[in-house]
Amino acid sequence: MEGNIIEAAKLIGAGLAMIGALGGGIGIGLSAHGAVQGIARNPDAAGQVQTNMILGIAFAEAVAIYCLVVALLILFVF
Amino acid sequence: MEKATTTKWRWGVHRWFVLLFIILGYFAARAYPPIRPHVQLAPERLTEHPIVLPVIGEFYLTNTLVATFLVDIILLIIVWVVYRAVQKGELVLGGFAGAMEALLEGIYNMTESAAGKWARAIFPFFATITLMVLVANWMELIPGVDSIGWLEHTAHGGEAAQEIAPGVWALVKAEGEEAHGEGYMVVPWVRVASTDLNFTVALALISVFMTQVIGVKAQGAHYFTKFWNTKNLFTVPVFGAIDFGVGLLELISEFSKVLSFSFRLFGNIFAGSVMLFVIGSLVPVFAQSLVLLLEFFVGVIQALVFGMLTMIFMAQATQGHGEAHEGAHG
Repeated sequence: MEGNIIEAAKLIGAGLAMIGALGGGIGIGLSAHGAVQGIARNPDAAGQVQTNMILGIAFAEAVAIYCLVVALLILFVF
Repeated sequence: MEKATTTKWRWGVHRWFVLLFIILGYFAARAYPPIRPHVQLAPERLTEHPIVLPVIGEFYLTNTLVATFLVDIILLIIVWVVYRAVQKGELVLGGFAGAMEALLEGIYNMTESAAGKWARAIFPFFATITLMVLVANWMELIPGVDSIGWLEHTAHGGEAAQEIAPGVWALVKAEGEEAHGEGYMVVPWVRVASTDLNFTVALALISVFMTQVIGVKAQGAHYFTKFWNTKNLFTVPVFGAIDFGVGLLELISEFSKVLSFSFRLFGNIFAGSVMLFVIGSLVPVFAQSLVLLLEFFVGVIQALVFGMLTMIFMAQATQGHGEAHEGAHG
C-alpha cells in the first residue's frame, strides 16, 4: 500500500498511544481482585461491594479511555 | 397423572430464529458486502446553510442534535407512560412503569446512603443525567442510527453507490479498479448524541457547576475555604502551607473533573461505535452482534457512572472538613 509519511506516522502514533491502556488493564484487575476478596470474606455485602467495584473499574477504565481518545484523535482528526 | 406437576419439555423456538438470521445474514453479506463507514470525530452537519435563530444566531443542524431531540422525545414518552400508570392509583406498578420505579428507587437509595439529608436536592441531577445518558447511549444499538442518511459526494475516501430501490442508494464495493478515492460517503441522519463532545462537555459543565452550587447551599460561603484554605496557614508551621497548596490543587481538580467526565463518556461511546463500524465491515456475519452486546453493557455502566460520580461529588460538597463521615451512614 502506498502512501506518504504522514499517514505512516499517524498509524504508528496511534499504535504507540494505546500502550497506555496497559495501566487501565492492571488497575481494573486490581479493583476486581479487591472486590472478589471482599465478597469472599463477607458474602452478605456482595451488593455494596459490587457497586463500589463497578465505580472503581469505571475510574480506572477512564484513564485507559483517555489513551484511546488520543489514539482516535491522531487517526481521525490530525 | 403427573402432568400437572412436571413441565412438558418443548423445542426451543428462539434458537432457530437466531440460526435463520445468521444464515440470511451470510447470504446478504455475500450479495452486498458491507462497507466501512467514514468515521470522523466531529459530528456532521445536515444542512448546507446555517439556520439563523433570534438569540443564538447562526446555527448548524448536526446529526447529534437530531439524536438529542429524539432522546428528549423518548424521555417525555417515558414520563407520560409512568404518569398514566401512577394516575391509575394502584399501589404496585407493573410493566414498564414498574421497571422505571425500580430503577429510580435504586438510584434514590444510593443517593440517600451517600448524602443523607441532601438526597432530595441531589437526586434529580443523578436521575436526570443517568436517564438521559442511558437513552442516548442505547440509541447506537438501533439499526439505522449511524448508517442511514444522505449520500454525499466526496473527493477522497469515498465508495461507489448503487441504486437498490427507487430513490434509495447504497454504498457498494467498486467492481474492478476504479479511481479509488472518488465516490460517495454517507452522512447519517442520526448519530449517537454521546459521541458529540458538545453533549458530554455540556453535561460535565452542568454537573460540576451544580456541585459548587449545592456546596454553597449546604455550607454557605464556608464552602470556598475548601479551595482557599488559610485556616492553618499562619498557625501551624509547615502543614499550614501544605494545606493551602492542597486547597489550590482542589481547585485545579475541579477543572480536571470536567475533562474527566466528558472524555470518559465520549471515549467509551465513540470507541464503541467505531468498533461497531469496523467489526461490522470486517466480519459481516454475527460478530457485530457480540460487539452490540458489549455496547449494551457499556452504555448502562457509563450512564450509571456519570450519574453516580455526580452524586458522590455533590454529597462530598455538602460535607465540610470536620464532619466528614457524619451523614454518610444513614
